Amino acid sequence: MSEMTSGQTPSVLVVEDEKLIRRFVRTSLEEEGCRVFEAGTLTQGLIESGNHKPDLVILDLGLPDGNGIDFIRDLRGWSDAPILVLSARSHEKDKIQALDVGADDYLTKPFGVGELRARARALLRRQSRGGEEATPILVFGDVTVDLSRRVVIRNGEPVHLTPIEFRLLCAFLANTGKVMTQRHLLREVWGPSCVESNHYLRVYVGHLRQKLEDDPTQPKYFLTETGVGYRFQP
Amino acid sequence: MWFISKKQNSALSLLAGWQRIALAVLACATTTLIAMPLLGHLDLANIVMLFLLTVLLIAISLGLKSALLAAFLSVALFDFFFVPPRFTFAVNDGQYLVTFGVMLAVAIITGQLTAGLRQQADASDTEALRTRALYEMARDLSGALMVVQVVEITRNFLRNVLNADARILLPDGTGGLQPCAGQETARLQIEPRFAIIAYEHGVPVESTQLASSGYAMLYLPLKAPMRMRGVIAVAPSHGQMEYLHSQRERLETMASLAAIAIERIHYVDVAQRTQVQIVSERLRSSILSALSHDLRTPLTALVGLADSLTVSRPPLGEVALETAVSIREQAERLAGLVGNLLDMARLHAGEVTLQKEWQPIEEVIGSSIKLLGRALAEHPVKVSLASDFPLLEFDAILIERVFCNLLENAAKYSPSGTPVEIEVQQRDGFAEVAVSDSGEGFVQDKCNALFEMFVRGVPESSTPGVGLGLAICSAIIEAHAGTITAANRPQGGACVTFTLPLGVPPTIEEELIPQTKDHQS
Repeated sequence: MSEMTSGQTPSVLVVEDEKLIRRFVRTSLEEEGCRVFEAGTLTQGLIESGNHKPDLVILDLGLPDGNGIDFIRDLRGWSDAPILVLSARSHEKDKIQALDVGADDYLTKPFGVGELRARARALLRRQSRGGEEATPILVFGDVTVDLSRRVVIRNGEPVHLTPIEFRLLCAFLANTGKVMTQRHLLREVWGPSCVESNHYLRVYVGHLRQKLEDDPTQPKYFLTETGVGYRFQP
Repeated sequence: MWFISKKQNSALSLLAGWQRIALAVLACATTTLIAMPLLGHLDLANIVMLFLLTVLLIAISLGLKSALLAAFLSVALFDFFFVPPRFTFAVNDGQYLVTFGVMLAVAIITGQLTAGLRQQADASDTEALRTRALYEMARDLSGALMVVQVVEITRNFLRNVLNADARILLPDGTGGLQPCAGQETARLQIEPRFAIIAYEHGVPVESTQLASSGYAMLYLPLKAPMRMRGVIAVAPSHGQMEYLHSQRERLETMASLAAIAIERIHYVDVAQRTQVQIVSERLRSSILSALSHDLRTPLTALVGLADSLTVSRPPLGEVALETAVSIREQAERLAGLVGNLLDMARLHAGEVTLQKEWQPIEEVIGSSIKLLGRALAEHPVKVSLASDFPLLEFDAILIERVFCNLLENAAKYSPSGTPVEIEVQQRDGFAEVAVSDSGEGFVQDKCNALFEMFVRGVPESSTPGVGLGLAICSAIIEAHAGTITAANRPQGGACVTFTLPLGVPPTIEEELIPQTKDHQS
């Protein structure tokens, strides 16, 4: 993790009741160079997070002693450490709820080590970058965005974006590597009165893909998290 | 008066006709005998009164016939024994003819009055009995728990109280009427057309022509508050049709009592069934989620542990690494299978409610290609779709499932390196989506069976799978009011085509674009 700013090893708290899952999550994160703490229950998880002030929390939503949503609310009361939620497929509502109360990303069970590491890395990077000064120029693929001059250039050619498209792009860029629920994006781009107009969001994400992706039907940057929202992945 | 006649009724109504006449004669004779010694002391007018009293009493107690006889006899006796010249029927004074006339008239009028009164009393007595029987029937019906009991109570009432035969017909669920169980002893014949008319129009149907031939002559609808519950067919036991006619109102009351009882039993039944259904559905859904959790947890550990072996440091030896990769692949396959099974169970349990939203279809195409990842790595996917294709209304998660299953199949059954194609176009109010590969295609005559559960194109194929994928697709597409078909492409390869209704997508308001911005960029 050469990108870590402080140089010290990041600490990760894993809250999960299944010992074997905890074990492989632990080994794969330790190989990433993290210090890992474990908790088998929510109560223990809250105590551990108070003791160790982790840089990242990995949380299983289905714990025996309570609702993971409450855990996220509690933690968000005093910490802004990123939270990666583990959840089964077909529980989209739980995921949305978790993201809406402050979780940052989710992984669907079963998941591979590669996926886990990538997500953890992305969240830790976001966390460590928090203190950095924001740069007005961002690059992904063959696209360069100058936020201060509101200019988007792709392959050296300027790309025309409407104001809404540009606001949407800014929302994506500001939440790199994080899952954004449809509600969140609608509120951020269209304002709080439009949070039910999901089809607007979908159409405008489609516009961004058509203007900025090589193949809009198989996007590389503006990814759909079906039933939940979107993720921007540079 | 009513009570007197009733009392005398009880003692005297049993007497035969000749006994009554004898009694009347005796009474008249007795009156004569009593009056004879009084002749010197009483006026003739008062003796007439004695005879009148006798006639009155006879009329009250012995009926009209005896009263008439007594009246004539009294006139004769009075004339013979008391009116001068005595001991002849000759009359000196013409005034006595008036006396005779009045005596006769009084006797006749009194006799008729009392006779009528008694008839009324008798009638109201039987009425009271029948009304009580109706009350008892209502009471019994309110305690009945099964339709058979209702039928029995109703038939008993008709037999015992109204002296009629009956059969109850209940709807058989296909628009016809069937005699309800428990009436096997009934010999009454039914004319089905009349029963149907009564049932469908809710009006009583009566046919006098049928009465004699052993057929039911009256068909009363069992009209309950919510709907028609059946028909009761009635015939008098001994062909007394007029009598049954006079009881029409009571019959209809009885029919509506029976109908209400049947309806009540029906709703009790419905309530019980719903209760059972709710309980079993709750059970099913809790089993499903427990299964889902209990199966997924070890699978997650298995996939994760095997995967962490493949990337462990220092790296494993070649053989061990290969084993670890195989374990991970098999565990992933198992996880997919469990996912499919649980999906199918959910879809079948009716637990899935569609979260339909208007959205571009390319979005789920993209996300399913992304989701399949490794499984599709060896097959380039070609998507052809107009860039202005209208929004469709569907449940994104479920349609993503359809695409995943179809793409996975396409990848599984075609040689690596060959492309998988997705083509979307509009046709006849539907969006038509075709997913095709360049493999060997389907076994020709099996195309439609493929959408059934656990059916595979080649039963003992070495390619893994249990034949759930297409069944799930079919269930999902049907829930969206679309169709799904499988065919082989003329140029080779399998092609699964499904449709989704186009509908009227919501309008997207055009964005107002400030002109100045245009020039800047």
